[in-house]
Amino acid sequence: MTAVAIEGVSRAFGAVQAVAAISLDIRDGEFFTLLGPSGCGKTTLLRMIAGFCELDCGVIRFGDKRIDTLAAHRRNTGMVFQNYAIFPNLNVGANVAYGLRARKVATARIAERVRSALKLVHLEDYEARWPHQLSGGQLQRVAIARALVIEPEVLLLDEPLSNLDAQLRVEMRGEIRQLQQSLGITAIYVTHDQEEALAISDRIAVMRAGRLEQVGTPDSIYRNSATPFVAQFMGITNLLEGKVLGHEGAHLVVEAGATRFRIESVAIAPGEAITFSLRPEALRVLGAGEAPPPDWGVIEAQVARAEFLGTLTRIEAHLPDATMLRIALLDQTIETPAAGQTLSLCYDPRRVSVPERS
Amino acid sequence: MKFGAGAGFRITVTVFGLLFLGLFFLYPVLRVFSASFLDSSGAQLTLHNYAKVLSSAFYLDSMVNSLWIGVLATVATTLVAAPMAFALARLPLAGKTALMALSILPLVLPSFVGAYALLLLFGRAGIVTSGLHALGIPFGSIYGTPGIVLVYVLTLYPFVLLPALAGFKAVDVSVEEASQNLGASRWRSLRTVTVPIVMPAILSGALLVFIDTLENFGVPFVLAEDMPILAVEAYKLFVGETDTNPGSAGVLGVLLVASTAAVVMIQRRYLGRRRFATGARRSPPLIPLSRGFRALATAYCWTLVLASLVPFFAVIVISFLEFRGPVLHWHVSLDNYVELFERSLRPLQNTLFLSTLAALGAALLGVPIGYVVTRARTRITALLDIVATMPFAVAGTVLGIGMIITFNSGWLVLTGGWFILVLAYVVRKVPFSVRTSSAILHQIDPSLEEASINLGVSPAMTFLRLTVPLMLGGIVGGMVLTWVSAASELSSTVLLYSGQWQTLTVVMFQALESTGAGLAAATASLLIFFTVVPIALIYRLLRRYEMSLL
Ligand SMILES: Nc1ncnc2c1ncn2[C@@H]1O[C@H](COP(=O)(O)OP(=O)(O)OP(=O)(O)O)[C@@H](O)[C@H]1O
Ligand SMILES: [Mg+2]
Repeated sequence: MTAVAIEGVSRAFGAVQAVAAISLDIRDGEFFTLLGPSGCGKTTLLRMIAGFCELDCGVIRFGDKRIDTLAAHRRNTGMVFQNYAIFPNLNVGANVAYGLRARKVATARIAERVRSALKLVHLEDYEARWPHQLSGGQLQRVAIARALVIEPEVLLLDEPLSNLDAQLRVEMRGEIRQLQQSLGITAIYVTHDQEEALAISDRIAVMRAGRLEQVGTPDSIYRNSATPFVAQFMGITNLLEGKVLGHEGAHLVVEAGATRFRIESVAIAPGEAITFSLRPEALRVLGAGEAPPPDWGVIEAQVARAEFLGTLTRIEAHLPDATMLRIALLDQTIETPAAGQTLSLCYDPRRVSVPERS
Repeated sequence: MKFGAGAGFRITVTVFGLLFLGLFFLYPVLRVFSASFLDSSGAQLTLHNYAKVLSSAFYLDSMVNSLWIGVLATVATTLVAAPMAFALARLPLAGKTALMALSILPLVLPSFVGAYALLLLFGRAGIVTSGLHALGIPFGSIYGTPGIVLVYVLTLYPFVLLPALAGFKAVDVSVEEASQNLGASRWRSLRTVTVPIVMPAILSGALLVFIDTLENFGVPFVLAEDMPILAVEAYKLFVGETDTNPGSAGVLGVLLVASTAAVVMIQRRYLGRRRFATGARRSPPLIPLSRGFRALATAYCWTLVLASLVPFFAVIVISFLEFRGPVLHWHVSLDNYVELFERSLRPLQNTLFLSTLAALGAALLGVPIGYVVTRARTRITALLDIVATMPFAVAGTVLGIGMIITFNSGWLVLTGGWFILVLAYVVRKVPFSVRTSSAILHQIDPSLEEASINLGVSPAMTFLRLTVPLMLGGIVGGMVLTWVSAASELSSTVLLYSGQWQTLTVVMFQALESTGAGLAAATASLLIFFTVVPIALIYRLLRRYEMSLL
């Protein structure tokens, strides 16, 4: 049973506040991802958990056990490094056995556990190979086997896929996720790739400049971004600024870009300013004479540019006051719209999210 | 105060390193300083020693001579070596691999033996001199400044050559191309872009040359004759034929240390403001040359390399010739060696024994220090770094004097055995050991160590089980080089040896004052043998580390 509790943890490097008063509760068996742009402090936080970076203040616990005061080699975490950190002077088997030897496991047991760990990552026949004879993806698997074989309380991964090519990344992330679920181990995963984070996490913490912006499931973070920063960081979005006009049934009517939008009711009084996010893929083109589903909002925009990407067509359009509106159409059976054409678009008001101003 | 990961190991190494160097390096050197401020009874503070030395034309001359020879030798060495570095890096030369291999030898061959070889060949009773005289050709003197500077240039040029070569190879060729693209000729690009980029590397090599010339004891001792030189006069004052004079010797020691320290500081300030590494992925391409220029460049490099090795070669040849007294007979014989070994095998055994212990000691002390100052950057490890680099700027003569003053009496008596010699060697070689291990560590990714600690191995055990094996090639290479340079150490050895603890260098030193030329040649050959063979054995290792161990 290893839940990880991070309580008010901070760390500054000179004038840079790398991690600023972060508190997190990571549940037992959870796949938890730290996500954020470069330099936001993800690695620093992960290294604090592993014991490679001192805390200025705060406490970290595994279950009820306080671990931030323990030496790094006593914490029983399994870390997978970005550059793999496979010992070049040891072969694959000895790399995997390294942590077991340190734990003085009986020799016979070591051989057995190494074999089953390598089997787990599909490298059964590679025990006698040398690291320089392996490909990047294989090295990554060795690193994972080496971290898992010691049966760590928590698995820590710092951008483990960033050195692999695009296709392998997708493959490996699936494997990592599957492995984590079958072992039921708590995993903390660092990445700056939002797609990767969405694909494999139970929950995600989005970080910015050493602080937490939002913690939640991939769904809620994507659809209900808590701040404009998160809304933008989680993928292309239309972040529109406008003014609340009033209520209309269950909806709020907002004017932005000289257009009236309907959104789900929020606690903002008429007359006040509002920022809301409308994902490009939430917009649908209405054919001539086609009626929108009941209760949906309808707007018009003029196409400025259209990009055909195969599965997707990306359109940049203008609202009447020239505010830009991005639209993503999933292979609809219409022709790619031409520049200058006016489109009728509809959207489900529930797809509009109102991040808090920060 | 909070301590981070691996604090126990780091603190142990730091504390032990500071204690060791404090006791066996800083304290003795401090005692030299304080001796220079004490009167002859050793109880009263006085500036009398300084007044006496600084008012003496002789000792002022020694200062001026040392600095002047240092400047001349440094300038000459740089002017000779920098073009060779460029040629090796950028020009098509014949026999480049052999050139590179041979050009590191002077660095490990004892300069003192080189000076001695010159004396055997061109000295007043030298073989070449006598031959020329017999033919009626007059021959000038190699004693004094010209001879000393010549020996320095021929033995120290690799100090400039190696960093400059690395520098020229690291220049990103695209900056030269950019310069030519902007309209500069090839020559102009070289002058305005390439050379300035490499300048810091050249200057850091020049600094090593200057410091070496200032503290060198053997070369001036052999070749200076009546010309006073700081390191030699400090020794003479301290050993004192009539009476010993630690106070005045201390003053000369202080002057010596102050000069080297000043140079190091000036160079640090200059280089601190300049960092031009361009980080080329591949070496720049060779510049095509016409046959004539190619032959010229090849001849230049080979002349320099051969000139630096010929004296050593000559000594070996001479050692197999027969001497009757000082007179050479052109018969091949082993008499010199027979005489050497009949007298005693002790000097050879001593040299092997002492250098081996010194190499082990310097590695045991220097490698952990190098590790700590590279991997854990704190204020206290920065201090350790400075203290462990300082012996480099302190002449062996000064350290030797300090050790005698300190450990001759009092609560810790060490003089009069092998231990103090080993201590002196370890202290003198520690900067080298620290620097090489730090250079090797820069090639080892720190995340390997973190992975090991993360898997449950303590930092100290990680160092022993993972880092040391990974560094092993470099550590062994560094130990061989320490071994070699300890075997040819002279300046502190002549002060600290006693009774039966003569080394090969001491035998040569004494042979200089008597007339045993044949014996000295045989001793020198032994020393050369014990230098060249180990270096040849680890040459591949040196290439792997791109000579950064030197
Ligand atoms: N050892 C250090 N010394 C000084 N500053 C540091 C150190 N480590 C990290 N920092 C600084 O702390 C901040 C956070 O760094 P961190 O490595 O945690 O970022 P990151 O989120 O992992 O970024 P990336 O995605 O680029 O890996 C950065 O501004 C970085 O420059
Ligand atoms: Mg990072």
